[in-house]
Amino acid sequence: MKVLVAVKRVIDYNVKVRVKPDQSGVDLDNVKMAMNPFCEIAVEEAVRLKEKGLASEVIVVSIGTAASQEQIRTALALGADRGLLIETDEEVQPLDAAKLLKAVVEQEQPGLVILGKQSIDSDNNQTGQMLAALTGMGQATFASAVEVTDDRVQVTREVDGGLMTLSLKLPAVITTDLRLNEPRYASLPNIMKAKKKPVAVTTADELGLALSPRLKTLKVEAPEPRKAGIKVADVAALVDKLKNEAKVI
Amino acid sequence: MRRPGARDDSMTLTSGSADALKTLFGKDFVDGRSADAAGYGADSNRYYKAQPGAVVFPRTVQQVQELVKLANRQNLALVPSGGRTGLSGAASATAGEVVVAFDRMTRIGEVNMTDRLVECEAGVVTQQLHEAAARAGLHYPVDFASSGSSRIGGNIATNAGGIKVTRYGLTRDWVAGLEVVTGRGDVLQLNRGLIKNATGYDLRQLFIGSEGTLGFITSALMRLTVPPKNLQVMLLAFKDIDALMAASAQFRRELPVTAFEFFCQNGLQKVLEKSAREAPFDTAYPFYGLLEFEAPYESVLEDAMDLFESLSDSGQVADAVLAQSGRQAADLWFLRESLSETLSHFMPYKNDLSVQLADVPAFMARIDACVAQHYPDFCVVWFGHIGDGNLHLNILKPADLAAAEFKARCERVNADIFACVQAFGGSISAEHGVGLQKKNFLGYSRSAEEIAMMRAVKAAFDPNGIMNPGKVLPD
Ligand SMILES: Cc1cc2nc3c(=O)[nH]c(=O)nc-3n(C[C@H](O)[C@H](O)[C@H](O)COP(=O)(O)OP(=O)(O)OC[C@H]3O[C@@H](n4cnc5c(N)ncnc54)[C@H](O)[C@@H]3O)c2cc1C
Repeated sequence: MKVLVAVKRVIDYNVKVRVKPDQSGVDLDNVKMAMNPFCEIAVEEAVRLKEKGLASEVIVVSIGTAASQEQIRTALALGADRGLLIETDEEVQPLDAAKLLKAVVEQEQPGLVILGKQSIDSDNNQTGQMLAALTGMGQATFASAVEVTDDRVQVTREVDGGLMTLSLKLPAVITTDLRLNEPRYASLPNIMKAKKKPVAVTTADELGLALSPRLKTLKVEAPEPRKAGIKVADVAALVDKLKNEAKVI
Repeated sequence: MRRPGARDDSMTLTSGSADALKTLFGKDFVDGRSADAAGYGADSNRYYKAQPGAVVFPRTVQQVQELVKLANRQNLALVPSGGRTGLSGAASATAGEVVVAFDRMTRIGEVNMTDRLVECEAGVVTQQLHEAAARAGLHYPVDFASSGSSRIGGNIATNAGGIKVTRYGLTRDWVAGLEVVTGRGDVLQLNRGLIKNATGYDLRQLFIGSEGTLGFITSALMRLTVPPKNLQVMLLAFKDIDALMAASAQFRRELPVTAFEFFCQNGLQKVLEKSAREAPFDTAYPFYGLLEFEAPYESVLEDAMDLFESLSDSGQVADAVLAQSGRQAADLWFLRESLSETLSHFMPYKNDLSVQLADVPAFMARIDACVAQHYPDFCVVWFGHIGDGNLHLNILKPADLAAAEFKARCERVNADIFACVQAFGGSISAEHGVGLQKKNFLGYSRSAEEIAMMRAVKAAFDPNGIMNPGKVLPD
């Protein structure tokens, strides 16, 4: 069984994001970029399936600028077998991403597609669901455990108030939640090996598609800075504030 | 006459001098026994009991000067106090001294972009300087785990080092000018931000690392630099310390290294257990090196990869991982930076030692052998800024040994360890200073003639011995 993993290049989780003065977006100049943390978890899960002998090949695909090759190389260093970059300099919105991934699914015929549940830049949480709808595959989102047996996959999902377990027929789409696994570090020998693994580059055009963004960003604003704490005189004053101002008790 | 540096009992605070201090400081005077004084008489050493006579909070250099004149007239002992993160007891007031805390001198000037200088009052917190530099697109590179509390005056008075010394040097290397009030009460402007200034003795350098024994630092001109670009963080595993030292030397020759730190397996094990994190490697190795380097261009990263490839092919590096994101980089740094805190639960006996880089393997072997022979039940954990030859030696208390007995036995270990440091021509305090804790061991690292010269310097700046008496110089 082939496993297809989608990875996205985003602003590094540890970077303090700054909004551009003209509010058209966030400042990306000289900002450290990295693989979206949920995608890292997706790669790790696919590699674990391969290590258990349940997957035959792990293919990693990214949609973005040429620089996204870096994140593909990272995935290869973590254990993926080959990469595919769908190169574009345009903004990629969830529906377009899902359509492009559908084209790759048709080419590669994977038994399982694993994606992050959302990317930490745009926080849409849509691509996996849209891909499942477009391809007709079953979907299990927010996975915290994945178990593959023969032609089915059992997925534990984190939902409000507890855990839900689904059993899906393969092929299927899974999106990862934070607690699914702890991604490994890329070891030096594997980084070396990754350099020799193949990465193909294609475009939307070559896949017979054109990007058609439907959402327009009107304005990006920084959240209000946190207000400084205050000191209250006694417990009674604290209870009063919690009750009447914060309204939490 | 009292020997400079010694303390005498007549220096405790009388009600008359308390009144004089109140007149000078008004509401910036706090009685040593009041709740507001709590915490001001001790640093992070915690070994010495705090008993300050009073705490005062100067706001201007003139006030500091008045205070010093008053102390000379009335024979008051003054203890300069920054963030009290020092580890040697140098900022502790144990005998009714007047603590002079710089909490209210925290102004920071505009960054001078031409000279890359910024003026900081002594009470500016290290992190505040980091942030001011970053806002100007520049970088203040001296950094350590206590940066959120330590103050510039304290950093200068201890010549603090930290995790980036390999690349950027010590606090000393970033002090371009100092304003000081000597123990005589003179205000001196030292060096004034000049890069070149060949006009005789550089008195600024004497104040750096003086641990408050010569006078007060009231303000400093700190030099800034450009921020590093595209930092890469690696954790490397080694089969023995020789391999680690050889690799470290090679990295420093061939890469723009910003940090090279080390720790050993038993330390890592404790951190992983305490933090419930996963081990960075499948196999355990005796030593780990944390390497950080700058890769401003793609070619640097390629060269680095070639270097690592050859080191792992030759077996010199047993295994290695490279952080792929800022978060992984932070996770790798966490393994090193949380060691101190993790070990503190084992009541470790700690020492901060340094030897020349070339002597590190032999020195560690000698200490390990000494502890194994005389104290076989003790567990030794090594970590530190090994890129600078700076080793933190930690001996953990065996669970079944009473704390008092452990402490008593460790005092005996001290003599053995310091004798070993002396044999290697090393330092008994690499960067944590002398203070109260190490003053009577100073002879292991400084000759009698050197110590006599130190006393003469002290007497020149502070003839009446009012500045931080009883610190640094041996009894
Ligand atoms: C968790 C932790 C990690 C640390 N890591 C490092 C490290 O990696 N490297 C390192 O070098 N140190 C380290 N230290 C030690 C300490 O943080 C540094 O020495 C720091 O620079 C001390 O600054 P401070 O303001 O807290 O000084 P304090 O502890 O308040 O004072 C230190 C000395 O300076 C004198 N002093 C303070 N202000 C003045 C002034 N205005 N004029 C004259 N004298 C003054 C005091 O009298 C005292 O002698 C660490 C400490 C902790 C708690």
